[in-house]
Amino acid sequence: MTATLSAGATPVMDRLISRTVEKHRPLSVHFDLTYRCNERCVHCYLDHHDHGELTTAECLNVLEELARSGTLFLTFSGGEIFLRPDLYEILAAARRLHFDISLKSNALLVTAERAARLRCLAVRRVQISVYSDIPAVHDAITKVPGSLERTLAAIPILLEHGLQVKLACPLMQENLMAYRGVMALAEKLGVPYILDLTITPMMDGSGGPLAHRVSVSSLLPVLRDPALNACKPQPSSEAAPAIKALPATFGSAVSSGIESAAYEDLPCSAGHNSCYISPYGDVFPCVQLPQAAGNLRREKFEDIWYHAPQLERLRAIRESQLPICSRCEIRSYCERCPGLALMEGGDMLGAYQRACALAEEKARLAGVAAPMSALHIKQNAALAQTTLEPEFASLRTNSGSD
Amino acid sequence: MSTSAAVFWQKNPALAWREIDDETVIISPNDSVMHELNDTGSFLWKNIDGKKSAAELAELLVENYEVTPDMALSDTQALLEEMSSRKLVVTVPATGGVSP
Repeated sequence: MTATLSAGATPVMDRLISRTVEKHRPLSVHFDLTYRCNERCVHCYLDHHDHGELTTAECLNVLEELARSGTLFLTFSGGEIFLRPDLYEILAAARRLHFDISLKSNALLVTAERAARLRCLAVRRVQISVYSDIPAVHDAITKVPGSLERTLAAIPILLEHGLQVKLACPLMQENLMAYRGVMALAEKLGVPYILDLTITPMMDGSGGPLAHRVSVSSLLPVLRDPALNACKPQPSSEAAPAIKALPATFGSAVSSGIESAAYEDLPCSAGHNSCYISPYGDVFPCVQLPQAAGNLRREKFEDIWYHAPQLERLRAIRESQLPICSRCEIRSYCERCPGLALMEGGDMLGAYQRACALAEEKARLAGVAAPMSALHIKQNAALAQTTLEPEFASLRTNSGSD
Repeated sequence: MSTSAAVFWQKNPALAWREIDDETVIISPNDSVMHELNDTGSFLWKNIDGKKSAAELAELLVENYEVTPDMALSDTQALLEEMSSRKLVVTVPATGGVSP
C-alpha cells in the first residue's frame, strides 16, 4: 500500500476524462443562473425574459446534488450572472462544496469590490465576451453604447485580484475581421482567448441568430490565417468551437481536455461526462443540444443523469457508426456537433451542410485535392440520378419506338 | 513544516477537489495545477480535517488497510510532506490557528 500523489495537468486530466467518460460521471457542468441580460447581443440564442428561475434554495440544492454526483468543474453563466442578486450566496455554496468554479460574463458590472469577493470565493477563471477591439463594432453587437470600454476596464481589475481571465470572441458578419484585434488585445493583456465560429439558432429552434452567421466562403480569410492554425486535421470530432487558440505562453495548466483520446469515437463530451442546466432547472446534454432530459424541480439530478432515455440514446452514439459521416473521407477536418446536427439538419446522427462545407474548405486549404464530404457526394449522386433518369426514360421510350 | 504529534493537518481551504470513484483530484486555483490521489491517498485526504496528527491518520490507515503501523506512519508522513510542499495542506497547532 502506498498513498500516492501525482501532478501535471495533462496526464491527470486525461486520466480523469477517461474515468469519467467510461463511468458516465458528470465531471463538468455548465449552469446558467439566469437568461436575463444587460446586453442585447444580436446573435444571442436566449429568451431574456424570466420564466421562473430557480430560487436560491433550489440552486443550492442543485449544487449539493452535483457535488454528490462527482461534478468538479462548474461554470456559472447566463444571461448575465451578476444580475442574480444571490450570486455570491450561490458562489459561497459552490465554494463550500469544493467545486472548481469558472464564470462567463460580459463584465459590465464588475467592480473592484466584486472582483475581491469573487477571489475570496475561490473563483478561478472569468471568461469575458469581447467582440472587437473597436468600440463601434463591439457596441453595435451588444447594442449597449460604451459596453466595450466598460468590459475592458473590468479585465485589469479581475487580473489584479488574482482571477484568470479569458476572452471569448464569437465571430459573425458584424465582426468577422475584428478577430486580429481581439488576438492583439489578448496578447497585450497577457490572457488567453478563444474565437468561436458557432452561431446557433434560438433554443426554441427559431433561426434569428443565424442571419448573423458568416458564410463559409466569407470565412476563408480566417481559415487561411496561419496565426490561427485552423486547417489542421482535428484529432477527434468535438462539439468544440471551430477555432481554438490558446498560445502556450498564456495557457492555463487545467486544460479543457476536449481533445482527450477518451472521446475518440464519441461525438463530444455531452451526456458522457458533461451537461448543461438551464435557469429553470432543465437538464440538457449540452447548451447546444436542446433536448431536455429532465427537470430538477421534479427529479433528482442522479435520476436524470443515469436514467433519462435522451441521455442513454446520446451515449450510444459512435462516430464510426454514423450513417453518413462514418464514410466521410474528410472527417478529420470536421467539427460536427450532434446538437447542431439536430437543430440544423433535424437529425442528431446526421450530417449537416455547414459542418460539411467547413470541413471541405479546411481540407482544401490543407492541400487535399477536390475534397468532398460524404453528404455532398450522396447529394450529388442523388441529383445526378434525378437528372439522368428522365433522360434514360426518354432514351428508352425513343429506342422502343424505333 | 513540523510533523510532530502536536501538529494537526488541515486541507488548504482555497482548493477545489472532488473524490470520484475512490480517487481524488485536487486543483489549486492560484496556479491551476491538478493533483491526483490514489485510493489510499484519498482515504487520508478525506480524514485530513484539522483535528488529526500524522500519527492519528496513520492509525486510521492501519484500521482500514492491510498495512503495518510503521509503514502506515512512513507513508502518511511522506504524503503529508509532499502535499505540504505543494501547498495542498497546512498544519494547525494544537492551540488553534493555521501555521504559516
